[in-house]
Amino acid sequence: MVALKKDLMLSLAENAVNQSLKKGASEAEAYVYEGQATNIGIELGQISKTNRIIDRGLGIRLVANKAVGFAYTNVIDDTSEVDNIIVRALSAARASKPDPDWKSLPGRKAYASPEKTFDDKIVELGSEELVNVASTMLDAAGQVDKRVFPVEGGVGGAYISNAVANSNGVSGFDKGTIVECSIATLAREGNSVTPVCFEFNASRSYEVDPVWVGKEAANLAVSALKTKSVETKSTTLILTQFALQDLFAYTLINAVKADSVQRNQSPFKGKINEKVASENLTVYDDGLLSGGLHTSPFDGEGVPHQKTAVIEKGILRSFLYDSYSAKKEGKESTGNAERAGYLSTPSIEPTNFHVLPGNKKSDEMLNEVDDGLIIYYLQGAHSSNPVSGEFSVVASPAWKIRKGEITHCSRGVMLAGNIFELLKNVSLIGDNERQIGQLISPWIQVENVRVIGK
Amino acid sequence: MEDLLAKINNVAIQKFGAQYAEARAQKMFKTMLTVKEERVEAAKQGIESGVALRVLVDGAWGFASVGSLDGEILERAVSDACRMAKTASSHLKTPIKLAKANVITDRVELKPKKNPADIQMEEKIKTALTVSKASLGFDERVKSCTTDYLDLTGTNYFVNSEGTSIAEDTLYVWARTTASALNEGVFTFSREEIGSTAGYEIFDEQTPEDLGEKVAERAIKQLSAKSLRGGTFPVVLGPNVVGVFVHEAFGHLAEADLALSGDVLASNLGKKVGSDLVTFYDDGTIEGAFGAFKYDDEGVQTQKTLLIKDGVVAGLMHNRETAQKFNAEPTGNARAEDFRVEPIIRMRCTYMEPRDHSFEELVEKVKQGYYFKSFRGGQANLDGTFQVGIQEGYEINNGEVGAPVRDASISGNTLETLHKVDAVGKDFLLDPGRCGKGQTAFVSDGGPHISVKEVIVGGSA
Repeated sequence: MVALKKDLMLSLAENAVNQSLKKGASEAEAYVYEGQATNIGIELGQISKTNRIIDRGLGIRLVANKAVGFAYTNVIDDTSEVDNIIVRALSAARASKPDPDWKSLPGRKAYASPEKTFDDKIVELGSEELVNVASTMLDAAGQVDKRVFPVEGGVGGAYISNAVANSNGVSGFDKGTIVECSIATLAREGNSVTPVCFEFNASRSYEVDPVWVGKEAANLAVSALKTKSVETKSTTLILTQFALQDLFAYTLINAVKADSVQRNQSPFKGKINEKVASENLTVYDDGLLSGGLHTSPFDGEGVPHQKTAVIEKGILRSFLYDSYSAKKEGKESTGNAERAGYLSTPSIEPTNFHVLPGNKKSDEMLNEVDDGLIIYYLQGAHSSNPVSGEFSVVASPAWKIRKGEITHCSRGVMLAGNIFELLKNVSLIGDNERQIGQLISPWIQVENVRVIGK
Repeated sequence: MEDLLAKINNVAIQKFGAQYAEARAQKMFKTMLTVKEERVEAAKQGIESGVALRVLVDGAWGFASVGSLDGEILERAVSDACRMAKTASSHLKTPIKLAKANVITDRVELKPKKNPADIQMEEKIKTALTVSKASLGFDERVKSCTTDYLDLTGTNYFVNSEGTSIAEDTLYVWARTTASALNEGVFTFSREEIGSTAGYEIFDEQTPEDLGEKVAERAIKQLSAKSLRGGTFPVVLGPNVVGVFVHEAFGHLAEADLALSGDVLASNLGKKVGSDLVTFYDDGTIEGAFGAFKYDDEGVQTQKTLLIKDGVVAGLMHNRETAQKFNAEPTGNARAEDFRVEPIIRMRCTYMEPRDHSFEELVEKVKQGYYFKSFRGGQANLDGTFQVGIQEGYEINNGEVGAPVRDASISGNTLETLHKVDAVGKDFLLDPGRCGKGQTAFVSDGGPHISVKEVIVGGSA
């Protein structure tokens, strides 16, 4: 299906705003979304699934009597359906109660043009090409070792565009692309089954290395076959990006959202310009980062994306704001009102949460550990306490480091601690950054984490 | 609607030589609310409709989803799906085949006592605000309360090329409330969730006041809780934790697609993997339960599926594809979150069967261990390692429940742990939940209180 043009998306959004005002809204915002994705799926060791998903929709957020109402539809080519949801959004607002803290929707500002977020080659990807990439990845994994089994995976390309307009003159359109290839493997020998070992590439430009992805996942699975237990004690950990992304997503990231801070749900409240982490830790939220997976010119309410210093050399500098939470403090939004498509209202989320790299090479980091563990994947990070930052998770698995060498794998090792303590115990930062989800980070070494062995 | 879907299936069969084609159409209405403290962040309503088309061509799956009921658009989409499946089939080693399924013609109409679609938005907002007020009013140390509400009503249509044609009404009502408390620098967090496929009357059974007080009470109790010492301990698990253990630790391994991936259960079918006290079911037939329905998204009737009987693996959860591979019957576990995605094997209401012990009898045997009453999150791995986070737990000293402990989790190997179940209670509770496996599924998990000789407990002290 041909993608909707910029002018059409913008006029859909602008018309919905105008109609909302005509029908009695005091302010209105419309968000139009289109996603077209093609995926090739690997299941049970073979390429056996394909899908093509086209999703379009329109969400309207409007204000009546200082109360907010929202409605959406995925039928956007029918003006009566759009009128229908405007009425629904209005009735939702009128049924609601006024919010004394509501000031206004954001106003118009100029947008930057971030680089490397769109690639025609991804739009033009056919299923033949995707099948070839999947097949290459599968073969690469299979060639590593006979004991490796590719459980699932896939290769996919997507085109995503959105337009946002509001009654304060905001009007923005953006289109982007993303390509991903991923594989989950396990290794089996006799009755021994390893945990799932996963690798992937994701990029805004058509740059994937399916051979690397397949080999990496398979090598990890093989290295997890032979296991020994580890002892219960406090020890040094090297956390790779998979583990950091999982852990931060359910702890640290909550603590830097202005909404959490204002509602007394963040231990960082009142700590701006105070030391909250080791001096070697600097974190930016950067919605304009070239080629970032979450890079675009503006956020879900049409506020320009920006680069925000969150933690600089261990000092807490700023929280992440949408326009509501910013106006509550008389501040400017940091452009962190993000949307999950057209189905809901924007909420505060990081864009590209960027932990700045240090200058230690990954092999140097390993070499310098006398006794510790390196952690790839975590199990149960989502069960962390999102307010206090306490976590109690399983490393699935952990690899033991002894005198600078990885000696063996250990399964079922538990790690317990508090993220805010952990941030103060960061001893080394690698130079090997990569992006996983919202997080861009290198490996991070932390000291004195409680490990519970068998 | 059914005629249109049958016509699209015919295009796949006749024009592209598909062996099998199915079309699912959905029309859905949603109401969503988020209340933060006493502020209604936004009252939301949504309309969605669309079609999912799935075809089997030369042994490979093709799938297309569009948010449209237009015949021409659907015809193009099904053609795309067929062509893509053909491309993928070039690399197939084992062509996909489907187990036989009954040909069904049915119209399933729901007659809820209180249909959420008929309840005014004002009433729903009042319900959510009442939860928040009850929570904040419970104790001044409760600092925040977030209440999310969702209802979903509509009709799902399913037509396949074998002649099955089903229209089934769907209804979900769900609410989650979380509270945080703060005292002298100590933060706590607590969650409660309710859900039903019966109707809005769930709020008559579990009032918003009770829900608010319950979530607040836990947040306050946790303020005085201590971090616990990690290690291996005997534990008593509450029905809420047993439910998530059954779901995470065993249920996922018993999903036939994961068993085929070579999970630890694959080599244990028909074998004894747990103590005689262990009997688990996955049941889609419990009326009104979150996760119950009549037909799955492959048009197969739901059932009560026995997973383990007295410690012996009795069955797996199947879709038509895995049932064919195991020479078994499909069990009605193929579920799709909505028309945007393909059906995959999902749980419904997964639980452990109760036995004969009282709570006191379970606790009194434990010299030094823990009572874990309520969970926060859980996750399984195919090697059989499970993890369940705990939001409410207590020490057990010399057979008595003692001081609260905070933010622990339990872990172990599922098959080893099932052998260590040494007593099972006579009580029973089923709690609603949401399960993530790429897509979200509404499920219930439950069971009685049980005692387990040892699990690994993760604590930072």
